[in-house]
Amino acid sequence: MTVEHPALALRGLAKRFDGTIAVAGVDLDVPAGSFYGLLGPNGAGKTTTLSMAVGLLRPDAGLAQVLGHDVWQDPVTAKRLLGVMPDGVRLFDRLTGAELLAYNGLLRGMDPAVVDQRAAELLDVLALGDADRTLVVDYSAGMKKKIGLACALLHGPRVLVLDEPFEAVDPVSAALIRDILTRYAAGGGTVVFSSHVMEVVERLCSHVAILADGTIKRVGTLDEVRGDRSLEQVFVEVVGGRTATGEELSWLSR
Amino acid sequence: MALPVSADATAAAPVRSVSARHFVRLKLRVMGNSFRGQGWRIAMFIGGALLGLWFAASGFFLFAAPGLTGNGEYAVLVAAAGGGLLVLGWLLLPLVFFGVDETLDPARFALLPLPRRTLVTGLFVAALISVPVLAVLIASSGLVLTAWSLGGWSAGLVAVLGVLAGLLLCVAASRAVTSAFATMLRSRRVRDLAAVLLAVTAALLGPLQIFGLAALREADWARLTGVATVIGWTPLGAPWTAGIDVAEGRVWAAPVKLLITVVALGALLAWWSRSLESAMVGAASAGKAPARRGVAGGAVAQLFPRVAGWARRDRFGALVAREARYWWRDARRRANLITVAVVGIFVPVMINVTGGDFAAMGEEGFTAAASDSSPVVVTLSMVFVGVLAAVTLANQFGFDGSAYAANVVAGVPGRVELRARMTAFSLYVLPMLAVVAVALSVLFGKPGWIGLTIGSLVATYGAGLAVNSLVSVLGAYSLPETSNPFAMNSGAGLAKGLLTVLAMLASTVAAVPMVVAAALLGDAWLWLALPVGAGYGLGAALLGAYLAGDVLDRRQPELLATVTPRR
Repeated sequence: MTVEHPALALRGLAKRFDGTIAVAGVDLDVPAGSFYGLLGPNGAGKTTTLSMAVGLLRPDAGLAQVLGHDVWQDPVTAKRLLGVMPDGVRLFDRLTGAELLAYNGLLRGMDPAVVDQRAAELLDVLALGDADRTLVVDYSAGMKKKIGLACALLHGPRVLVLDEPFEAVDPVSAALIRDILTRYAAGGGTVVFSSHVMEVVERLCSHVAILADGTIKRVGTLDEVRGDRSLEQVFVEVVGGRTATGEELSWLSR
Repeated sequence: MALPVSADATAAAPVRSVSARHFVRLKLRVMGNSFRGQGWRIAMFIGGALLGLWFAASGFFLFAAPGLTGNGEYAVLVAAAGGGLLVLGWLLLPLVFFGVDETLDPARFALLPLPRRTLVTGLFVAALISVPVLAVLIASSGLVLTAWSLGGWSAGLVAVLGVLAGLLLCVAASRAVTSAFATMLRSRRVRDLAAVLLAVTAALLGPLQIFGLAALREADWARLTGVATVIGWTPLGAPWTAGIDVAEGRVWAAPVKLLITVVALGALLAWWSRSLESAMVGAASAGKAPARRGVAGGAVAQLFPRVAGWARRDRFGALVAREARYWWRDARRRANLITVAVVGIFVPVMINVTGGDFAAMGEEGFTAAASDSSPVVVTLSMVFVGVLAAVTLANQFGFDGSAYAANVVAGVPGRVELRARMTAFSLYVLPMLAVVAVALSVLFGKPGWIGLTIGSLVATYGAGLAVNSLVSVLGAYSLPETSNPFAMNSGAGLAKGLLTVLAMLASTVAAVPMVVAAALLGDAWLWLALPVGAGYGLGAALLGAYLAGDVLDRRQPELLATVTPRR
């Protein structure tokens, strides 16, 4: 079944908030085993798209499938295959890291012994072991990202969907997260993540899609999208950013 | 490399001073924006405003009664008692039930170069822009009418001053007290002390009401007027009675009373100003939590607190364990839990002592009153406690906020979710209810009533859980992510009030069979109440979880969207 089905398939996903269109029909096929980067400027609709793809936000139109299972028709199967790290969403942060992992593991119907073993490993690998008596609310931003990733990985999902996994993360933690994700992808898993950090995307991804104004502007393998230029150049051109200021803001220099 | 233009710019643009006007405009703008495109919020606001006007009108006629009837005898009594209750209400109700409107969150001003005085004045004036303030203003203007009709324009003028000062006093008191408590609850060091203090404060409601009811029944109006005169010299009553004093010829008293009010106001504002600083730095000052001595062993063993140790290590167990931890670790939930505990213990004592016998009161009358308390009255008071306990869950998903996303992502079935939440809350509440039931029976010297009290409590509580799980799924609203457990979003206070009333009414209706049975079945009911009540409560709760769980399954994402605070 996995041969013909893409890991994640989005068809015409659309969402409108209070009259403004956040996402205007996104089609996307994420091949199984790929490392997929969803690029876009702030407010492009990345979070909205990913939320609709994993069942956190009901789309106005369109469908989302995980390995052939519809997220909105057959949520139980689809959600079992998914590991998700949303952005801008709180964790149950009045728990310690270990408690949070145990909670998520049991919530996924895992065996307690397996939860214990994997939680210990994850805390150790992500260098959160020293802090396992600290409440997550007292974690630093980078630690919160790491424990969020651990929660998404714990049940061994086939598809990992991460919203801004590298935002507010220091270089050491970022390298650690990169390593873990690379290993996960090498082991046959599929990673989809959103970002606006070009270097990370260029370094990691096999496939890239550029999202702006709620629609996909460019999509394909990394080489197809960037051609002979740098990804950043393509991105700025697609998004149509404004570069350099001349006379304005002269009061900034004194 | 300083460019001349920049130097000029700084010199030419002197800092313009910020005044309270800016805060008021900011608050109006924020309120207006929060209504934009939210039809139900506007409807809720208008509904709340009408409700406020209705209360205001009844208050007005109460305060104006001595003037309208031309009977000055009770003017001081009405002014002192009514005004004092107003101040106390402003002091206690936000703590216990309603929270404060934090449309302007002090923390947002932390980075602005504002002198503390400007900030406090600004926030204070902005706090005056609200429906309750308007309602109190309308109601207390009845006092002006009274003073004017009894003592002419000079008394009326003093009454205007007094009423305005009293209004300021009310708002300052509510702000100062909630802010102080919020600060204490935020600090992990004195958090438990704050919890106890909060409990004591809430407990004050009980004796006050007993006093009030007893006073109403006292035929000795002269003595009451004496008490009122004394209250009139405390900040509670001073502003409201100043006008009456002039009307009754004690012109010298008016300036003294106004002075008392102004001093109290100044003290409250100073107090508020001090705790405001900590509110502005917010969680940053809370410091690290002390290292937790968890259970040795794996992550799973750590998750389960002792109170939920019996639960199986599966999905249901994990939800129960997490909820049980949250009821204790989350300041907002803990404040709710404490309220339930305190009110749940004091109210039934009050109702039974005061409702049982309208003649006998006071120390010596206590046992006499208790022995006259009937099974129906006891059942009614238990219904109240059960309903109150269950209504805490009316916005249970709002407590979680966006963290609820974890459960959505994991695809937790609605029925499991709701049953687990009920179970976890009951872990704390049921023992508390048992204590209330047993304590009451013993207090009345009627140990045979233990079955009756526990039975009615559990039945009502169970029915309330059922009603409130449905309310919590359909009527959830977001709570602001500030560190103030009393903070509400603008407009949400009304939503909260209406929902609470609705849920309490529905739960009460669901509990009516218990009251009817108590009235009809006589002594047999004393024995039947326990098994029947327990069965009824458990059945209702399970049925509620079953039905509401179905609804939850269909609207998980929508629920998540409603409880996620708009940023």
